[in-house]
Amino acid sequence: MKRNKMKKQSPNSSHRYFGEYGGRFVPEMLIPALEEMERAYFFYKENRAFQQELDNLRRNYSGRPTPLYFAENLTELGRGCKIYLKLESLNHTGAHKINNVLGQALLAKKMGKTCVIAETGAGQHGLATAAVCAKLGLKCRIFMGEKDMKRQYPNVFFMRLSGAEIVPVKDGAKTLKDAVNAALKYWIEHLKDTHYLLGSALGPFPYPVMVRDFQSVIGSEVMEQLRKCEKRLPDVLVACVGGGSNSIGFFYPFLHNKDIELYAVEAGGRGPEKGENAIRFGKNPRTGIVQGYRSYFILDENGQVLPTHSVSAGLDYAGIGPELAYLYDTGRVCFDSVSDQEALSGFQILCREEGILPALESAHAVAYALKIAGNFSRKEIMVINISGRGEKDLFIAARELDAENWLKFLNEETENG
Amino acid sequence: MADELKDVFSKKKKLKLMTHVLAGYPDLKTSQEWIMGLAESGADLIEIQIPFSDPLADGPTIMAANHLALKNGITPQKFFELAWSIKGAMTVPFIFMTYANIAYAMGMERFVSLSAESGASGLIMPDLPFDERNFDLFSCAKKYGLSVIPVVSAGISSSRLKKILNRTEGFLYITLRVGITGAVKRIEREGLEFIQRVREMTSLPLAAGFGISSEKHLDLLQGKVDMVVIGSHLIDLFHSSGLSAVLNFIKRCKARTRRDRTRSHTYHHGIGRLSQG
Repeated sequence: MKRNKMKKQSPNSSHRYFGEYGGRFVPEMLIPALEEMERAYFFYKENRAFQQELDNLRRNYSGRPTPLYFAENLTELGRGCKIYLKLESLNHTGAHKINNVLGQALLAKKMGKTCVIAETGAGQHGLATAAVCAKLGLKCRIFMGEKDMKRQYPNVFFMRLSGAEIVPVKDGAKTLKDAVNAALKYWIEHLKDTHYLLGSALGPFPYPVMVRDFQSVIGSEVMEQLRKCEKRLPDVLVACVGGGSNSIGFFYPFLHNKDIELYAVEAGGRGPEKGENAIRFGKNPRTGIVQGYRSYFILDENGQVLPTHSVSAGLDYAGIGPELAYLYDTGRVCFDSVSDQEALSGFQILCREEGILPALESAHAVAYALKIAGNFSRKEIMVINISGRGEKDLFIAARELDAENWLKFLNEETENG
Repeated sequence: MADELKDVFSKKKKLKLMTHVLAGYPDLKTSQEWIMGLAESGADLIEIQIPFSDPLADGPTIMAANHLALKNGITPQKFFELAWSIKGAMTVPFIFMTYANIAYAMGMERFVSLSAESGASGLIMPDLPFDERNFDLFSCAKKYGLSVIPVVSAGISSSRLKKILNRTEGFLYITLRVGITGAVKRIEREGLEFIQRVREMTSLPLAAGFGISSEKHLDLLQGKVDMVVIGSHLIDLFHSSGLSAVLNFIKRCKARTRRDRTRSHTYHHGIGRLSQG
C-alpha cells in the first residue's frame, strides 16, 4: 500500500461520529491498530483491484446478488401493501453476515494479518468468518458465549468443521456482549498478527462505518432489483435489529429519500420487564459508553450494563450501532419490538405461506411487517429483509413447536447409536 | 497538579509503590480494610477502582472481581461514601480509576467534582482517550485540581505520545505489556524499551505496571521508572491466601525498594533471565 495515497486523518474527531454517537472509546493501546485499520479501509475502499476481488467473491463464493422475491401469499395475508422479501438467507453460510466478513477478511490479508478473530451470538457471523478464513487461508478463532454455544450448537459444529477454534466465553451472561468483550481483550493481546473481524456496525471507529459500507450491498441491490421489476423505489423497509448490521446495510442507500419509511424491529423477548428483552428504545432509553462506542445501551441508573434476553441469540445484545442511535434521535428510523412468541409465529407463517424458513432474528421482522402491512395501500411496496435462514434454530423451534415428535426422533437416534 | 502527587515523587531516587484496590471487592468493609492496610504496609499511592460491568482493559482476575463487587452491591454512591469516610484517616494520597461509562452516567463533571471532594488526587479512565469530542477530561479535571493519569503502551505513535505528554501533569502510567491487566511471570523487553523511549521524551515521573507479580520484578524497574503499579497479583493473592498475604507482599515490595540501588544496576543486563525467576 502506498503511503502517499492514503487519506489523511481529519484533525478533529468528528469523522468518527454520527451526531453524538460513535467515537473511539478504547484504551490507548488499541488506537494504533484502529488507525492502521482506518487507513487501510479508506485506501482499499477506493482501490479498484480490491473492489473487483471483493465483487468476485460476492458473486461466486457467496452467491450474490441474492433474490428479491415477491411474496404473493404473504401479501395476501397482510391485506395491505405488496410485500417483497430480500433473501439474504440465500447467501453462502446462510445470512447477511458474510457480506461484511468477505470485505474485512480481504482487508485483513492486505494488512498482512495471518489470524482472524470474531465474536458470534447466533453463530451466523462466526460461521461466515470460519468459512471465509478457510477459503482465504487465515487462522480463525471464534469467541462465543457458553449459553449461545448451547442454543446454537449446529453452527458450533459447522464452524469447527471449517477449522475454526471456538473459544467458549464464560463471563457475565455468557452471550453476545460477553463474546465481544472476550474478543476485544484477546485482540489487545495479539495486535500484531490478528485482525478482529467485528460482525456488527458497532464498536470503536472505523467499525461502524466499515461494516455499514460492506453491508450496504443489501440496500443497493434492493434498489436496483426493484427498479427492474417495479420501476420504482419501495415505500416501506422492515428489518430486525440487534447490533444493527443487517438493518443499517439495508436502509443505508435509502436514508436520503425521506418518503421511504424505515422500521427496525427489536427483540421484545418475554416481556417489558427488566432483563426479559433486548429493547434499547423502550420507555427510558439510556445512552452510554460501552465496548468502545457511545450509543444507546440497556443500562441501570449507575451505568452498569444490564442482562438481556431474546429467543434469538443474534438480537440478544445490550447495545446498538451508533448510526442507528443517531437515526433514532432524528426520527428517520422507527423502532418497535415484537415478542419471542410473535417471532415464533412469524417463523411459522413464513414457512407455511412461502415455504421459506427464516432465522428467528429475521422472523421478528416478518411478524412486525404483518402487523403494519394493513396500514399501507395495495399500490405501496414493502421490502422485508430476511437476514438469515432458520436451520440453525432447528432445536429452539423444535422445542417450542413440535417437542414431542422431536424428542421421539432424538431418542431413536440415540438408541441407534 | 495536585500537591499530594508532587509530594509522592519529591524524594527522587527511591522506587515508589502504587497499589491497586477494587472498591467493594469482595465487599465494602473488606475493601476499606484493604485500603487502610495498603497505606500502612508501605504503599506510596493507592489506586482505587470503581467497579464496572464491562471493564475493557481488565483481564480475568480484575474482571471477575468487578462482577463480584457489583453482585455484592457496590454502587458509585456507596463508593463515594466510602471515600468520604476514609479520607481523613488516609496517610497516603489516592487516585480513582474507572471506566468512562461510570462517569458518563452521573455526568462527567459531577463525577470529577465528587472525586475531588472525596479527596482523590487524580483520575485514571483507560477507555477515554484525550481526543474524543465533548469529553475533555483533562480540562475538566484541571478545573477541580485533579490530575489525569494517562495509560500508554508501546506501539503508540510519537506524535500521539507528545500530545498526551503535553497534557499530563501528574505522572504517566506505562504498561509493561501491550495487553490487558493480569499477573505474568516475566517482564518483556518490549516494555522496558518503551520506558526508555518515553524517558527520553519527558521529565514527568513515570509509573509502570501490568503484570508485576514478584518483588524481583521491582529490581528490573529500579532506576528506570519512578513508581511501579501492582494490581491483579494482589487480587490473586487475596483469592488464594487472604488480605494478610496481600499486605505482606506489599511490605516485601517496600523492603525491596529500600535496597541498595547499586545492586539493582547489575540486573540491567540480565532482563530476560532474571525475570523468569
